[in-house]
Amino acid sequence: MLSVRGLHKSFGDKAVLRGIDLDIAPGTITCAVGPSGTGKTTLLRALGLLDFPDSGSITLDQVQYDFPRDPKTPITPSPWPRMTTVFQSLFLWPHLTLRENIMLPARNCNPDAERDIEGLIRLFEMAGFIDHFPNQASIGQRQRVALARALILNPSYILLDEITSALDVEQTAKILTKLGHLKERNIGVFLITHQIGFARRMADQVVFMDGGVIAEKGSAEILAKPQTARLQQFLSMVEMVY
Amino acid sequence: MGVWDILINYYPAFLSGLGVTLELSAIIWFCGIVLGGGLGVLGSRYRLAIGLPTRTVSFLLSGVPILVFLFWLHYPAQAMMGVVIDPFYTGAFTLAVINIFAVADIVRGSLNDFPQQYLTAARVTGLTREQTILKIQLPLIFREVLPPLLLLQVMMLHTTLFTSLISVEEIFRAAQRINAQIYRPVEIYTALGVFFLMVCLPVNGFALWLKHTYTRDMSEH
Repeated sequence: MLSVRGLHKSFGDKAVLRGIDLDIAPGTITCAVGPSGTGKTTLLRALGLLDFPDSGSITLDQVQYDFPRDPKTPITPSPWPRMTTVFQSLFLWPHLTLRENIMLPARNCNPDAERDIEGLIRLFEMAGFIDHFPNQASIGQRQRVALARALILNPSYILLDEITSALDVEQTAKILTKLGHLKERNIGVFLITHQIGFARRMADQVVFMDGGVIAEKGSAEILAKPQTARLQQFLSMVEMVY
Repeated sequence: MGVWDILINYYPAFLSGLGVTLELSAIIWFCGIVLGGGLGVLGSRYRLAIGLPTRTVSFLLSGVPILVFLFWLHYPAQAMMGVVIDPFYTGAFTLAVINIFAVADIVRGSLNDFPQQYLTAARVTGLTREQTILKIQLPLIFREVLPPLLLLQVMMLHTTLFTSLISVEEIFRAAQRINAQIYRPVEIYTALGVFFLMVCLPVNGFALWLKHTYTRDMSEH
């Protein structure tokens, strides 16, 4: 279980996270939705232990990380790659081919990496471009590689930050369909998304963030029957756009 | 007497001058790349203690013409200190200092501007510190630094000609001496041009090859 309790985070005098409590179970998908600037990415980076919160605690399968802590002190035991992150901007290493991008970290923790990459190439339909460099691949192809790079590490939890934001409808559908495989592999997924339709169909848990707090939390049902006026208003705006 | 006749007749003088030029260049290149590289790394790591003073010196040096700096170290500085230093060492020191701070600038800038997201990606995928440095940071920085570094070194080779003005017996001075004896400036300076082409073209070619091999376009579309 990946759990957070009482997370607070401020940038200067602006409080971005104000007391977040959340549990992400293995084999479930948690979708974070909400307007821009409400702290979703800050929460993801805190969950991923990339930016330390000002206070609170994060527990990753019995290992508890308490805050505040010195950002210069290495985090022990390391949560990576047991918990890994795929960013909106992907961050593929530009001097390595897409295959090398996947294999370089995989060799550290996956003894079957050579075999597994072949499976991932088939799953994500990457055979035609796997030996290209990132700048020779389309954004959709790079998204699949970034997801494959995370999956081959056999993580227990994956944090995904709006990974389909730059894709067209068809490519988005392809990527989101692949996320179903993560549940099958008992991976806990935290996904920031604006794809409300996907959240309705696939999410086991939905958190609606507003003003640095979780304004509403529950099953995907809350997207059909929102309890708060703010979520109702947000969903009506989403429906107006999509 | 044509260019080739002059080259054949005076090749010992040309070779001697070329030897001095190459020796001078080797010192400047070595000091610049090793010390400047080190200073750049330290300046990036200790930004206030080393980076700021290095940048200040580099900024001051960029405002002083090389020739003025060279002459100042050769005449007033030595007169003030009451010492006489071989012009070769004065020239080597002056140009090495310029090269060290210029290389430090390139290296420090590249390290400071290194995209942090690649390090974040290394962290979340569980790469070790050694892997991150050797497989991610160094290759990317190498690609970033290489073209300006090579251009700078070719430019430093050209600036060695200035040392002829403080009586260093490098190739330009050798050409001037031969010209003073036979007064054939067209042929002699053409021969000098040929010499420089022979030395600089392989260096430039090597620089182009390295650039083509290691610094391909990595921008994403």
